[in-house]
Amino acid sequence: MGRPTSSSSSIDSPNHFAFSSTASSQRDLTTDLRLGLSISIAPPFVREQWPPMKAAVAEEEHECNSSTFYVKVYMEGIPIGRKLDLLAHESYYDLIRTLEHMFHTNIIWAEAEMDRDHYEKYHVLTYEDKEGDWMMVGDVPWEMFLSAVRRLKISKC
Amino acid sequence: MQKKTAYSFPDEILEHVFSFIQSGKDRNAASVVCKSWYEIERWCRRKIFVGNCYAVSPTMVIRRFPDIRSIELKGKPHFADFNLVPDGWGGYVLPWISEMAGAYPWLEEIRLKRMVVTDESLELVAKSFTNLQVLVLFSCEGFSTDGLAAIAASCKNLRELDLRDSEVDDLSGHWLNHFPDTYTSLVSLNISCLGSDDVSFSALERLVGRCPNLRRLLLNREVPLDKIANLLSRAPQLIEFGTGTYAAELRSDVYSNLAEAFCNCKELKCLSGFWDAVPAYLPVIYSVCSRLTSLNLSYAPIQNPDLTKLVSQCPSLQRMLVLDYIEDSGLEVLASSCKDLQELRVFPSDPFGEEPNVSLTEKGLVAVSSGCPKLQSVLYFCRQMSNAALVTIAQNCPNFTRFRLCLLDPKIADYRTLQPLDVGFGAIVEHCKDLRRLSLSGLLTDRVFEYIGMHAKKLEMLSVAFAGESDLALHHVLSGCESLRKLEIMNCPFGDKALLANAAKLETMRSLWMSSCSVSLGACKMLGQKMPRLNIEVMDEKGPPDSRAESDPVDKLYIYRSVAGPRFDMPPFVWTMDEDFASELS
Repeated sequence: MGRPTSSSSSIDSPNHFAFSSTASSQRDLTTDLRLGLSISIAPPFVREQWPPMKAAVAEEEHECNSSTFYVKVYMEGIPIGRKLDLLAHESYYDLIRTLEHMFHTNIIWAEAEMDRDHYEKYHVLTYEDKEGDWMMVGDVPWEMFLSAVRRLKISKC
Repeated sequence: MQKKTAYSFPDEILEHVFSFIQSGKDRNAASVVCKSWYEIERWCRRKIFVGNCYAVSPTMVIRRFPDIRSIELKGKPHFADFNLVPDGWGGYVLPWISEMAGAYPWLEEIRLKRMVVTDESLELVAKSFTNLQVLVLFSCEGFSTDGLAAIAASCKNLRELDLRDSEVDDLSGHWLNHFPDTYTSLVSLNISCLGSDDVSFSALERLVGRCPNLRRLLLNREVPLDKIANLLSRAPQLIEFGTGTYAAELRSDVYSNLAEAFCNCKELKCLSGFWDAVPAYLPVIYSVCSRLTSLNLSYAPIQNPDLTKLVSQCPSLQRMLVLDYIEDSGLEVLASSCKDLQELRVFPSDPFGEEPNVSLTEKGLVAVSSGCPKLQSVLYFCRQMSNAALVTIAQNCPNFTRFRLCLLDPKIADYRTLQPLDVGFGAIVEHCKDLRRLSLSGLLTDRVFEYIGMHAKKLEMLSVAFAGESDLALHHVLSGCESLRKLEIMNCPFGDKALLANAAKLETMRSLWMSSCSVSLGACKMLGQKMPRLNIEVMDEKGPPDSRAESDPVDKLYIYRSVAGPRFDMPPFVWTMDEDFASELS
């Protein structure tokens, strides 16, 4: 559990800086960036690896052992969060069902259909990944999600 | 040809002589003098250090050394501390415990670093080693408080339980209750890594109260400040103490109780903990400050002037760990107050911020190097450096044994001249002839590696990131650093040439780590075939190496010498390049 995500997913995201197209096309562009093209802002995957510091004790936000993977879930407006075992679920559908039950609401995620006239009955589900970014739940394969997710947030529409 | 030796000493005499030789290195040297010395030595070796748990198998260790009482094992490579080694890589202690359970029933000490320790392993330890006195789990993971409960319940002779920096699953705080009421032998307890549900405070209080020999107690963050006084009053003989959270509303009763409790600890020399520390409660430790030799404030967000004031009261400090809130001004005070300082570590309070939040620069380190003649070991995170400063530091401190500089922008140049920092680090290796450990950062060309290869003859461990321009750099290090044992490299443009040209060197080292470099799969295969006593592990989570071209660079490469051959507990994303590699793929 908890494998670092491949950095190519964040490089391809339109949110990140544009890089020079003159970079060697033979190798994976992520390799070039790692080889130190000078960049003024440290890209996120560099951030993950630099500076080299042990994770602070405070950062133990999720527990991983072979059979459970608990993450915190917060609903907007409610200061007290809940904890959820992701490994007790088989898929996104499973997870969404549990969350809808836990928080008594309808959850919007990547594959949900919403009744746009009644948006106040819906909440959006996002997750914080290992790079500290908040992403919509459901875009990547379930296993990849499990390896990237640190915690969940349910926000009003 | 058999030559009759002149030795007429009975074996017992030699054994007695060997009992004075404690260091593993010296014992190893004695064991190769001749066959009879090898035999005598192996029967009387009591303590063994295995720097890489995959370099040798437990069977081999047991076969050679039949009566070991103390073992130290290390698992994952150092870069695992920075999340560079994916989960599941390996480093399992269970195979070792299983075999030692039968072979070493009198085992007294187990020290593990960066290993995966399961509850099953701990239960087996508890069951098998009734004489266990020391259990140190340094940066380990994979176990829960259930495993600890088993240890507590069974190990009647336990003196030292140290869980430093380990990841422990919290299942119940009641594991401490498993120490029987008759158990009174605790000398050292480090539970600073435990989470919120992991410690029953009342059980801890009772344990501390009944162990008169307790000298070292490092609490976890969740122990509140108002409980400390009571705890300390039960253990005034403590030499080393780590607080829990050091923040609370200022209350005069809590304050005075704390001050009195600290005052009564007449032998207290080392303090740590101080999570979330607030300045209001700092003065309670003033009575201890003059005696303090070690102070760890790396979790304390205290700023100047409170921080500097505290430091100025500790003239006996030998070891100081602190956040960069100390700033250059605080380090100048440290330099003038603490003439016995040997080790300094300054950590960043805001490592990812784009702008500096504190005024900590190279000047602070220069001041300490100038004011503290005994300074030997430095770990310093900062945002700017100059060659001139590094040269000055090198000249001030020729006795450095460990020098680790971490610039928050890993490729930043000398801020004054905009030159690479080659000359500065060159001065460090040239002046510090006893340097054993070095970490580089900043803009660095092949030049710095030339200096390192030329001068760093005692260097044992080198950490490099985002540095160098070509294979020549790696070649300088591998061919020049005679004492090199561990080399770890990330994000450098080093490829096949230097590695293949220095293949033999790798057998003289413990390990080499290279990630995000340019070593090709083909070179790894070649090394694997050429060097049977090296394990060449290629790690790639994107898929098996056979699906890619020979010239493709590997993501992560870990090479280590081993007499145990390739291991069999590798996860799916690790491949060993050995002679049979091609046939292993299916």
